[in-house]
This record gives sequence, structure tokens and C-alpha cells, in this order.
Amino acid sequence: MILIRLWILILLLFGMTTPLFSGEPQEQLQQTTDKVLAILSDPNLKSPEKTKERRELILRVVDERFDWEEMARRCLARHWVQRTPEEKREFIHLFKELLQQVYMDKVEGYSWNKIQYEGETIDGNYGTVKVKIFTPKEQPIHVEYRLLKKGPTWLVYDFSIEGVSLVNNYRTQFNEIIVKSSYRELVKRLKTKVSQP
Amino acid sequence: MRRKIFFFFCLWIGLGLIFLMPLESQAELFDGVDTEEFNSGFEDRSKSDWMARSDERMEFKEKSEPSFPEEEVPEERIRDPLEPLNRIFFHVNDRLYFWILKPVANGYQRVFSKEVRIGVSNFFSNIATPIRLVNCVLQANLKGAGIETLRFLINTPFGLFGFLDPAQKEFGLEKREEDLGQTFGVWGFGPAFYLEWPILGSSNLRDTLGYIGDLFLDPITYLPSTPIRIGLKTYEKVNETSLRLGEYEDFKKVVLDPYIAKREAYHQNRKYKIKERK
Repeated sequence: MILIRLWILILLLFGMTTPLFSGEPQEQLQQTTDKVLAILSDPNLKSPEKTKERRELILRVVDERFDWEEMARRCLARHWVQRTPEEKREFIHLFKELLQQVYMDKVEGYSWNKIQYEGETIDGNYGTVKVKIFTPKEQPIHVEYRLLKKGPTWLVYDFSIEGVSLVNNYRTQFNEIIVKSSYRELVKRLKTKVSQP
Repeated sequence: MRRKIFFFFCLWIGLGLIFLMPLESQAELFDGVDTEEFNSGFEDRSKSDWMARSDERMEFKEKSEPSFPEEEVPEERIRDPLEPLNRIFFHVNDRLYFWILKPVANGYQRVFSKEVRIGVSNFFSNIATPIRLVNCVLQANLKGAGIETLRFLINTPFGLFGFLDPAQKEFGLEKREEDLGQTFGVWGFGPAFYLEWPILGSSNLRDTLGYIGDLFLDPITYLPSTPIRIGLKTYEKVNETSLRLGEYEDFKKVVLDPYIAKREAYHQNRKYKIKERK
């Protein structure tokens, strides 16, 4: 009896300490990740005919946490200022579509055994959260999310996997294409990429 | 054929030696080139602010993790003076993957279960312990060297010559992926410039020299006959590929210029590995 009570006490203590000791960015990111994992492990959504529904549910959750505009702006860097509002809107849309493909492939393709939070840093409105993802296959993967505070919510504007930052990688690609050909060409290529299944 | 390969090799080494210099002097060369280009993209911070921040970061790095957003400091990109040649080899590697490596790995994957293939991968990794161990020592990473030694001493007798990985599973001792290229990086050498080697793939001048050096630490090099050496290396490659089928395809699906995406990813990952040694 005493043992059981002790266990419950320990469990309660651990349950309480996690939100107490982790700051806002990690807490909010964790909420999103937990929601995605819950959807992925939901037995009602596992069947193949439910795939589309599941995707939409995940996308909605992810959408709340990602700042697509900030990402797009950072990826275009110096070319962003030269765009008209319509161009910006179109670009954000295309970029979001492309990234969702990346994200969905990664989320659905791997079985995420365990996620370990490895600390965060906060500097004014900027924050980072380090995460270690354990895969059944091999070595754990280190992911670092970069977040920006907008109002009360922390939004992801970049993440890097084993040191490879998504924004940096796309920025170099986009810059090369714009410099070597044109912005039009970039949009054309984005459109073909997105329309491919 | 051999002479031609040797010629290209000498050319690369020769060109590289000009560029191979410690990071600080390379940073001087880069100053004001890439920095300025990316700078104008962000309206919210003035240039002097950026410079001050990056200076601050340099000093800060010594003590602890940088606490400010990394994006505010423009990334230094890798030089690629041999891009046309590299692109040709990238294309060659791409075809090699789809025409030869992938079909072979696919067939192999059907015959052997995942457990066996992971075991084989662990076995090769265990054999290559000297590379990681020596490089840990060269980087003055004694904890890493200790872990690698322990891993070898546990996995060889108790893990069926390294097929299993009880050191990681039971004791949580994670492998330290260190190589000579990273050691050179820790010593302050920059990557010089990007290289795409046929078959071997992404590299840079520093890591290529490191790769050659690591060959001397690789027990497979000391096997008596060349066909056996090449055979084992090929088998290792097929086995590794069989565990990663589909990853390259996924990667190509989400990038606009696979050559540039691969180059930048390689560069950033190497920088990260050099920085994140523990």
C-alpha cells in the first residue's frame, strides 16, 4: 500500500515538475508534438482510408505552431523586399505546400519511438528548443527548433536536423535560382514541385 | 585511366593547398562577401548591429552555448570553385544510385531481415573503432575515447563481435562519430572548398585529406588482397544503402536544386559535428 502511494506521489511530482521547469517555448512545442503523436497513434485513424483525414488533422495542428510567413521571408532573404504583396502571398502559399510535404513525409515515414527534450534557450523574443528523437533503426536524431514569440505564442520559424537548418538550405537554393535565372523561374519550379504527388 | 584519376587528384590537392588555411584567415577572406549579400534581406537590424552580434558570439562560444538566434548571423557558405566538375560527378553518383546501387540493395534487402542488416552495419562499425578512438584522442576528447574503448570491449565479446550493440542498449554508451576531417576542423582548419567525389559522394578538401588519413586507421586497409578490401567496402556500402532506401528519393522530392541542397547540407552537418563534440 505504502509503495503504491509512494509511486503515485512520485508520478504526481514528475507530472508537475515538467511544466514548472520548462519554459514557454518548450512547453508550447511539446503540446504540438504531443497532439501530433496522439493523432499518429490513434487506432481509429490508422486504416488506409482514413489517411487523408489524418493528414488534415496533423496539418491543422502543425499550422498553429509554424510561422510560414516568417520562414518564407527568411528563405528569400534579400529578395523578399523586392516582392509585391501578391507575390509574397503566392510565395508563402507555395512554400507552405512544399514544407508540408517535407514534414508529412518525415512524420509519417518514421516511427517515432521516443522524444526527449534537451533544454531550451530564450533571448528576448527568440528561443530555441533542442529535441532528441529516438528511432528504432539507429542513432538518435538531434533536432533544434527555432521559435519567435508573437504575442503569447511561440511560433517555429526554422528547425535544423543534425545541424542542417531548413531555412538556410532553402535560402541558398532560392538565391542561386533567382541570381542565375529569375524569381519567375523560382516560382515556376516551386509550382511544379508542389503539383507532383 | 589510372593516370587520369591521379591527375585530377593532384589537381584538386594542389588547388586545395592554396585554400587550406586556418579558419580565422579564411574568415578574413570571406568578410564582406557573403555577409553583405544576406544582410540586406533583413530590414530590422542594421549592419553594425549584426557585426557586433557576430563578434559577441565568437567570444561567447568559448564559454557556453550562444544564446541569441543563429539566423541573425549570416551563415558562411562553402566555396565551390569546381562546381561544373562537381555537378558532373553529382549526376554520375545520382545515376549510380538509381541504376546500380538501389536495385542491388533492394534485392539484398528482400533476402535479409532488417535485424541482420543492422547487425552487419554494427559489425563494420565495431571494426572501425580505431578511427573513432584515435580521433577522439586527437581532439583531446578523453571522455569520447573512453566511451569508444568501452564500447569495443563490451560489444566485441558480449555482442557477437559487434553484431549486437549491448553497449548502447544496456549501458547507453552512444557511438562517437569522429573522423580525421572533423579533427582537422577542431584544430582550426576550414573546409577549403566543396568536392563531390564519384562513388564516395560529398566531401571537401579538408575531409578528403582526412578520409585518406583515416584509411590508415581502418583495419580493412590491412587485409592482404585488394579484391577482398574492395569487396568488403562494396558490401558495406550496399548494406548501409539497404537500411536507407527511399531517403535519397524523399530528399530529391522536396528540394529545388538537389546539388546545392546536398552541398549545403553536407557543409552545415560537418560544421555541426565539429562544434558539437562532447
